[in-house]
Amino acid sequence: MVSAVLQQSVAGFYTDLVTRPTGRAVRENIERDLPPGTIAVMDFTGVGCLDYSCADEIVAKLVRDKVKVLLLRGLTDGHREAIEPVLSGAGLAVLCERADGVLEGLGASEPAPALLDELVERRLAARIPGEGGSIRLTAA
Amino acid sequence: MTRLIEVPTQFDDRSFDQFAAAYSQVSDGAGERLLFDAHAAEWASPYGLVGLLAAGEAAARKGERPLLTAPANPDVVSYWTRAGFFREAADLFEVHGKVPKAKVAAESDVLLPVTPVRAAEDVHAVVSTIQQRASAILNSELGLDPKATMGFAMALSESCQNIVEHAGTGGWVAVQAYNWRRKLARRVVVIAVADAGVGFRHSLESTQAKRFGERWGDAAALEAALVQGVSRFRDPGRGQGLAGIRRYLARWEGKVAIRSGTARIAIVPSWDDDVPLKDGLPAFPGSQVLLIIPEQVSEKGPSKK
Repeated sequence: MVSAVLQQSVAGFYTDLVTRPTGRAVRENIERDLPPGTIAVMDFTGVGCLDYSCADEIVAKLVRDKVKVLLLRGLTDGHREAIEPVLSGAGLAVLCERADGVLEGLGASEPAPALLDELVERRLAARIPGEGGSIRLTAA
Repeated sequence: MTRLIEVPTQFDDRSFDQFAAAYSQVSDGAGERLLFDAHAAEWASPYGLVGLLAAGEAAARKGERPLLTAPANPDVVSYWTRAGFFREAADLFEVHGKVPKAKVAAESDVLLPVTPVRAAEDVHAVVSTIQQRASAILNSELGLDPKATMGFAMALSESCQNIVEHAGTGGWVAVQAYNWRRKLARRVVVIAVADAGVGFRHSLESTQAKRFGERWGDAAALEAALVQGVSRFRDPGRGQGLAGIRRYLARWEGKVAIRSGTARIAIVPSWDDDVPLKDGLPAFPGSQVLLIIPEQVSEKGPSKK
């Protein structure tokens, strides 16, 4: 849960992911336990406002420098509004799990299909027959 | 010797250059004390209030603590107090005149009283406060989609971060809603952010001056930051803040204007007739940012109050 990492990373009780120093502190906390080239899941449930600087500092930098696939959960429209342009501008993409469980790309359109394929190949996700090829996480 | 700087009677972004001209004429005198005379002030926008604090800080840095005469009109001085101006001014100026001990507004059109911004923690506090207070006004009075509140907080956060990341000193932010008869006959929400720091030209000089060559100056620096989204940091993800503010304002027909040094740049919406870029203005320290989000007009007219 990103909100839990936020509480560990900054002094005071905040639910908003704003400012670069905060983003940096949260990312460094996340990176500490993350082997390079891994598949990571981040849950944004409980996070209030996410600004562009924090979206870049956390999401874009993890995708650029650390993880192979980043899957985001619990995103609000406001979170998407911050993350999408930051990723698109850098030619990067993440996957996000919608409320109905379907996975979709967020950010630049080019890299997203390969991210979905990666999860399917590793059997972490599967195409659901009869749902127009939509992809969901498997129970595993 | 004391040098006088008159505060315009209607003190907002339009009269700011008049104030800056008065400031730049007298601020070079070494060892001279400055007197900011606001006794005739009839009205000040959030932009005027935070700009006056920036001038006070710059003056205090140069020499003796400046003087400030408070507005003579009790209604005006009461409003400046409720807007949080005198709470901050007390640290910068030797204030003369009757200043009521009224509390800073808790419930009113002052969505965020004049608030100092010095560090990331201050931005957190500002964003937290504004989300609690702005939502109702943005939705019910300005007719913005409820989702717009989050974007508003993001724009506010990024505006404040410019101080923390680039100014090299602290600054102030204020947010207010009011009826804007002058241009629109609609309600607007205004975010004003000001500092007396190094300004955009100095902040970007080391990375951008060469690229612009002889064109380099305050106007070129503002253009680079707001239009081209460049930053002094070489990190590829930098420059997101102002770009995000532009996107948000474009969506809600808003306006952004930034004054720094001797130049001012604006992204001008269709309802306004401001000039996109002005150069050769009277020099003023730091940067002053103005964001205006107007009430949305549906086919049936402005949203209900």
